[in-house]
Amino acid sequence: MVKKVQRVGLFIVAIGLGVLLIGVPAGAKKPFEGVTIKAALIGGGNYEKLYEEFIPQWEEQTGAKVIIVAKMSHFELDKKFKIDFAAGAADYDVMTNHTSFAAQYDKFGVLLDLKPYISQGELADFLPSTLHMCYIGDRLIQLPRHIDLSNIYYRADLFNDPAKKRAFKEKYGYELAPPETWDQAYDIAEFLNDPPAVYGTQFTGKEEAFTGRFYEMLLSNGGRLFDSHWKPVFNSPIGVKTLEYFKRLYQNGLVPPGVVNYVWDDVAKNFAQGKIAFHLDWGGWYPWYDDPKSSKVAQTFGYALMPEGDAGIRVHWAGCHTFSVLKSSKNKEAAVSFVKFITSKEPQQFEAQLGFGAVRKSIWDFLLKTTKDSRKLNFYKTYKYALENDEIVTPPLIPEWPAFSNILYPELQAAILGEKPVKKALDDAARKTEELMRKAGYYD
Amino acid sequence: MIREKYLPALLITPSLSIILFVVAFPLAFSLYVSFTGYSLLTPGSMVFTGGENYVTLIHDPVFWQSLKNTVIFLTIAINTELFLGLGIALLLAREIKGGRILRTLFMIPMMFAPILVGFQFKWFFNDQVGMVNNLLYTLHLIEKPILWLIRGDLAMLSILIAEIWRGTSFMIIILTAGLMALPKDPFEAAEVDGASGFQKFRHITFPLLSPFIYIAMAIRSLDIATAFDLVQIMTGGGPAHRTELIWTYVYRLGIIDTKFGLGCAMSYVTVIISVVFAYYLFKQLLKTRG
Repeated sequence: MVKKVQRVGLFIVAIGLGVLLIGVPAGAKKPFEGVTIKAALIGGGNYEKLYEEFIPQWEEQTGAKVIIVAKMSHFELDKKFKIDFAAGAADYDVMTNHTSFAAQYDKFGVLLDLKPYISQGELADFLPSTLHMCYIGDRLIQLPRHIDLSNIYYRADLFNDPAKKRAFKEKYGYELAPPETWDQAYDIAEFLNDPPAVYGTQFTGKEEAFTGRFYEMLLSNGGRLFDSHWKPVFNSPIGVKTLEYFKRLYQNGLVPPGVVNYVWDDVAKNFAQGKIAFHLDWGGWYPWYDDPKSSKVAQTFGYALMPEGDAGIRVHWAGCHTFSVLKSSKNKEAAVSFVKFITSKEPQQFEAQLGFGAVRKSIWDFLLKTTKDSRKLNFYKTYKYALENDEIVTPPLIPEWPAFSNILYPELQAAILGEKPVKKALDDAARKTEELMRKAGYYD
Repeated sequence: MIREKYLPALLITPSLSIILFVVAFPLAFSLYVSFTGYSLLTPGSMVFTGGENYVTLIHDPVFWQSLKNTVIFLTIAINTELFLGLGIALLLAREIKGGRILRTLFMIPMMFAPILVGFQFKWFFNDQVGMVNNLLYTLHLIEKPILWLIRGDLAMLSILIAEIWRGTSFMIIILTAGLMALPKDPFEAAEVDGASGFQKFRHITFPLLSPFIYIAMAIRSLDIATAFDLVQIMTGGGPAHRTELIWTYVYRLGIIDTKFGLGCAMSYVTVIISVVFAYYLFKQLLKTRG
């Protein structure tokens, strides 16, 4: 009897061991075992947390190894990429890309079309407004990581002050609230302007930051930068009206007089210091503005949609950080797999919680469902509304964009400083732009 | 005999080859590129276009403005640095208590990268949150912000202050070393003859120090192009090209706009100006050496 029990016991143990051995995945080969992927990625700030958290996970799942060959700011990466591509020296498989820069890189013919590697089902969760930025022609040359667009940040203490509300209604005949049109924005800036303690508003008046602000207001007023033959048309009456608006803000002292030397960090510092009643800024600044360590307006500022122009539309000049795979990659399948993984739901959710603008519908649903703080919830709702309902535009996807911007913004500055009449400044910029485009072969 | 004749040439061949490869070849190549329409973004654009780039520059008002700004910037910066550097060096060269610590302290500005100096002075001169305007507000000296980085004259002054702060240390070091190396005999003789302090400076110190002054000026005039970082951060050459220097404009054309041909042409104009200036200084230096 004892022996029988022992035999049954041994049999059970043997079966158990067999099951265990079959179940152990040690023998199973991972899909990219032994493959090494080289990546040139944006670094600094919160960008690197994604790599620290998720690259080891992908390596574990696939057996591949990721080597980050460059971790730089986008500014530095841009120089590196252009020089590497021109010299044929890009030896990496995956690169950080950006919807505003992608056209320049694509001109070298180095970016892999991802469409054959990705099903429509895999793309379905991406917001259409962001996904369409990732195409050049019908080629999908990048997958979005996160998006940023601008809306209004305003000092709610000023906007909700009962005395100010009364006085404003008396003077302008409508309620003091975040502006819905550019004309209202001017009125409110004029009303709340109390320099040097508080300026009505501000804008980035230098470099591409100024070109972009002019561009989105021009479009919302019904204008365009170029016609269908790439001839500059921003010196139209609508262009003149748009630039006059910036000039009136500047000349009437409704913005800090230093705006022509401001880029992103300068306007952010001013708003965080409580010196600006309202202004347009990227969603990515929200966590910084809301942190009492960095901002005097933390927990008190409001967030609202960008004003609309004469054409009755809100236009957001926006851009996506993306990832691309190089055609020269010897491990295209693995490289695409890595890009798909790093832009999948879990990493996106991780980055959204760090403050980056999500590009997947499911992440927005998650954020709206789980966020309890009413201010933060308003931020997410406003952001999502803009992404789904407003015009989201990239700069024209041409390699000449940076050179064009370098032509346009000094002329915009000259106009608002009063060095040139508005029309002449725009005409001068249009003439130089036409020359640029002619030399680049657009009119042959 | 033959071995002795060719041995020196043989010995310098490796270093000469390296210099040719890393200096002469790129210089010659960039000279060629300056005569082409090469754009980094347009493959096949390295086609000979004659002097078109140079003609474009001649007709470009921004180029002339940047050239004018550069000459003003260079002249004021170098001379002020020399004036301040010489004055401070004369004080530091004396045997005073704490002299060594002071000499070390005056070297501190040299330890900062120009880009950091740019960020620091950009904040100093910011119209809203800058230290200078806030100080002037606190002292009730102004009621409206001064536009340090916007007004053409003040923007140039602001970048000059930053550059002079950064560059004076170098003058101090070279001139202090020069002063300490001067022979004592002429000073003792002048003392016996009853020469005044100014006479000693005018007739002994300055002539004997001249080689050091010319060397320091030559090095600084070539090195001052590193002010690019500083200007790029503080004003970016703006607003509306008001502080555009030839180096920021080369960067704009060559790197941002990727017009390498035009950028090389403009670089060559810069090189020619620098060489002429350096040649003049070295000629003066040789004169002082008799």
